[in-house]
Amino acid sequence: MKGRGFLYKLASLVVFAAMELAMLYLTTRNADLQRIWVAKAGHAFMGKVWGSSEKVGNYFRLTKENSLLVQENEYLQRELSSARERLRQARIDTMSIDRHPGYTLIPAEVVKMSRGKQHNYIILNRGFQDGVKEKSGIITHAGVVGIVDAVSENHAFALSIQNHDISISARLGSEGGSGLLSWDGIHSNGALLKEIPLQYHYNVGDTVYTSGYSLLFPPDIPLGIAGEARVVNGATNEIKVTLFQDFSTVRYVMVVHNDALDEIEGFTE
Amino acid sequence: MKRGEFWIAYVLLLLAQLLISNYFHVTPYVMLTLLPVMVLCIPLRIGTIGAMLIACLTGLTIDILSEGVLGLNALALVPVAYIRKGLVNLIFGPELFARKADFSVARYGFAKVATALLLSLLLFLVIYIWADGAGTRPLWFNGIRLAASLATSFLVSILTLGVLAPDSRK
Repeated sequence: MKGRGFLYKLASLVVFAAMELAMLYLTTRNADLQRIWVAKAGHAFMGKVWGSSEKVGNYFRLTKENSLLVQENEYLQRELSSARERLRQARIDTMSIDRHPGYTLIPAEVVKMSRGKQHNYIILNRGFQDGVKEKSGIITHAGVVGIVDAVSENHAFALSIQNHDISISARLGSEGGSGLLSWDGIHSNGALLKEIPLQYHYNVGDTVYTSGYSLLFPPDIPLGIAGEARVVNGATNEIKVTLFQDFSTVRYVMVVHNDALDEIEGFTE
Repeated sequence: MKRGEFWIAYVLLLLAQLLISNYFHVTPYVMLTLLPVMVLCIPLRIGTIGAMLIACLTGLTIDILSEGVLGLNALALVPVAYIRKGLVNLIFGPELFARKADFSVARYGFAKVATALLLSLLLFLVIYIWADGAGTRPLWFNGIRLAASLATSFLVSILTLGVLAPDSRK
């Protein structure tokens, strides 16, 4: 009896499903609205089914995709590296155009640079093999950076302008008095122009240039802007200077060497 | 009620439904139907498959002879016939089937009969309104139509019960 009951229930279900499908078919055949509705529902259902199967397939293809992505990533890294090198060379070449007569210019890149100390230094990626000599100046388009102190085969060690041990000869304005410019030891872009005779008048905001007297740097390289002054020992002015050079962004520099340095030093000796 | 009397009443109610379907168009929110109560009252000695066939024919008759989508009433009415046995079993108990008897308000009370009627009406109307709208009508419209149709059809069906399941059958 139980088996018969189950079979009857099953038969009822089959008849029910058949009737509903037949009525649905009849409905969609005779009414456009219902036909579109059923078609849309069918498409949505099929979309779900196929979309899910596609997701499963994609999951199993991930290993291959990952491998391809790794290859592509490697290729892009190589391209990026090559492009960076070309850009670096282009920058160095552009700097070389600014030539100073009587001076040899060697483009270089800063390898290491200290900025947080009282005696800061710079290491460049050019050495005596590249023509770099001791007692050469280091400049950028924004001013003076340092002085080469020691040279190895492929590298040069330089004292930064942010160093209490060095000072360079600088001039106030285009025809003003000259003095010694050194770092103020406090601000990254602060310097003091010392030993300016009192008779030389200037205005706050005047530009400070290299004088060319030090033999290390070509003349007329803009260094910074003159600020307030104070009289020292009643004889000279000490003027605050705001440097143009931003030491936090220095990367490409130019090593300048006075071609006549040895000859001139021969006189002084 | 004798077997022949039931079927005469059934055919008369079918004619009444035809008149309603063709001439009772007061508002689009109300769909007045007697069909679920007719199917619910089919004698229990007739099995589920038989009840589904009767429901299908009843629905198709209304669909063919009245304005509307062919197959829509049959589509909504066959499920009522399919769940009829389970619904009666659930609400009135299995002894009704064991005795092959029929239900009535006097024997089982208004609440039980009304529940069975409401559930079959609800099933029919949900399918009918859903398929009739075919996804083009907003939910609020279908909701109002369902509520209004359920209320009016329930009241008319309660009156119809007096014809299809009179107290003399107790």
